[in-house]
Amino acid sequence: MVEPLLQLAGVSKAYYGQAVLSDVSFEIAPGEVFGYIGPNGAGKTTTLKILAGLITTYDGVVRIGGVDVKTGRDRAHALIGFMPQACGFQSWRTVESALDTLADLSGVPADVRARRIPALLERFDLLAARGKKVKELSGGMTQKLGLIQALLHEPKLLVLDEPLEGLDPPSRRLLQEVLRERRAAGTTVLFSSHILSDIEDVADRVGILNRGKVATTGSIRDLTRAFGLPPELELAFSVAPADLGFLADPAVIGAGGRAVAERPDAWRLTLATDADPDAVVHALVERTLAGGGRVRKVGVAEPALDDLFARYILESDRAAGLTVPAPAAPAGGPDGN
Amino acid sequence: MATSPTLRLLRDELVGFARSRVMIVLWVVLPLLAILGYLLFTSSAEVAAGMGGDHKMSANAFMTFLLSSLAGTVAALMVAVDIVSERTRKVYELYVIRPIRREAIIWAKFLAVAACVVVACVVAIALGIAVDVARGDPFTATIAYDALKGLASLTAVVSLSAAVGTFFGVISRTILVAVILVLYVGQNLTIVPMLPMYFGILPRQFWVIMAISYALVAVMAWLSAVVFRRSQF
Ligand SMILES: Nc1ncnc2c1ncn2[C@@H]1O[C@H](COP(=O)(O)OP(=O)(O)OP(=O)(O)O)[C@@H](O)[C@H]1O
Ligand SMILES: [Mg+2]
Repeated sequence: MVEPLLQLAGVSKAYYGQAVLSDVSFEIAPGEVFGYIGPNGAGKTTTLKILAGLITTYDGVVRIGGVDVKTGRDRAHALIGFMPQACGFQSWRTVESALDTLADLSGVPADVRARRIPALLERFDLLAARGKKVKELSGGMTQKLGLIQALLHEPKLLVLDEPLEGLDPPSRRLLQEVLRERRAAGTTVLFSSHILSDIEDVADRVGILNRGKVATTGSIRDLTRAFGLPPELELAFSVAPADLGFLADPAVIGAGGRAVAERPDAWRLTLATDADPDAVVHALVERTLAGGGRVRKVGVAEPALDDLFARYILESDRAAGLTVPAPAAPAGGPDGN
Repeated sequence: MATSPTLRLLRDELVGFARSRVMIVLWVVLPLLAILGYLLFTSSAEVAAGMGGDHKMSANAFMTFLLSSLAGTVAALMVAVDIVSERTRKVYELYVIRPIRREAIIWAKFLAVAACVVVACVVAIALGIAVDVARGDPFTATIAYDALKGLASLTAVVSLSAAVGTFFGVISRTILVAVILVLYVGQNLTIVPMLPMYFGILPRQFWVIMAISYALVAVMAWLSAVVFRRSQF
């Protein structure tokens, strides 16, 4: 087996007696892109700060490239590029001076810096702002700067805390493209998000963090399947068919299916767990057209992150033997009294 | 790496002070204001008589007197406030994640501030001497010697104050706390090198005070490094 590039074993962290991470363990193989998802306050930033050495008081072991970050900080951190959720720069710094210093501190030689910094600025459409003061940049531009500083020394492990937050759609696509390139070049990536679709497009594997506990599995699809979430469809009409009765017809949506109107012309369908979503989509389009309607949008809806979490908590509680028993029958049983 | 992290960061700090006009204020505006104050002060005969009787205070002496009470406080406040404000703005996170010795960050700040304030002292005293000479006082070897000695002890005071400021900057989480610590506790700490002399333990000699001062600077720098290395970000 390949030695994991990143390894967390039994990592726990508490603030003032309040547990934030409890016994978090997962591994990331070299070259893997790992999405770390969790709702606000789940402990994502705390985990990533531990990896980056910003938090050093924790229990458990974190190894990067086989080196314990507590005892071999310098060697471990030479391997990592970290983009904090919010990063600050001295108010007098220009974009270029900030990047030059940070690259220098990461050990990038001057001639390489002189080539790489303009190239990265160009790539992220910041070349025109190279002489600007960082404090004069917009939020999204600062975010990109945070990303560039993590890429400067071409680290083996990229750790990005909510890198897509605050970016406009073209920049998001650009970042996803950059992440894919890095993966192709063999870089391992760990990034956090609370938006599932961000992760689904780029991550090989995801870890879900909730209330300080983590579940590692394969892809989002695997997770959805593993947690037994029913497939859901979205259906929107530009012209609604005269008769919408087919939305309740088991012959169309399958036995156990259910349709709920979100708006008069937009529906959300929950199918039975074993239903074939493609067949249902096909039938829905046919029946709409046959009824004189026109379809604006139809497709498989992404499982809401909430559902995944809810299911995850249920599953982990069940695994821990904590399943809530069915409410006890009233004394004397149903036929009592 | 071509340069050491401390030197690289020191260079950056100095560039930063230049860009944020700290240097202009320290090196030009303040000495000019001080000398203006002196000129107004000594032209008022009444005050001059009250101060030094028939003997008028020289500009050089006035500047040295002013700096001896101000330079240390300015240096300590500058370092402490700068460290706290940069930390609260998350500036250090991007440095700390890099494979460097963390103390390089605060040592660079300490050296930059101490150097800036010492240069300010040199400028101010030189300006004082220039004003005296312009007003017809001769520039003697004694004056030169006293000025150098004054500068040496100012440098020691500034270094110690900056080191104390560094320590308070590192342990404080808000600017207000840092300022209060510097003003109330820091002022007293810079008197420490004089204590053995007051108590008669050590001879009243210039070099003894210098030695104790710089030993204390080293202790404060080391303490700051220990605390900063353990800081959580
Ligand atoms: N310095 C701190 N002191 C005390 N509590 C903290 C500190 N930092 C974080 N916490 C707490 O730890 C928990 C996890 O915070 P963390 O920032 O890791 O969450 P997150 O998953 O990154 O959330 P988000 O999606 O909002 O960024 C929160 O309840 C937070 O209040
Ligand atoms: Mg966070």
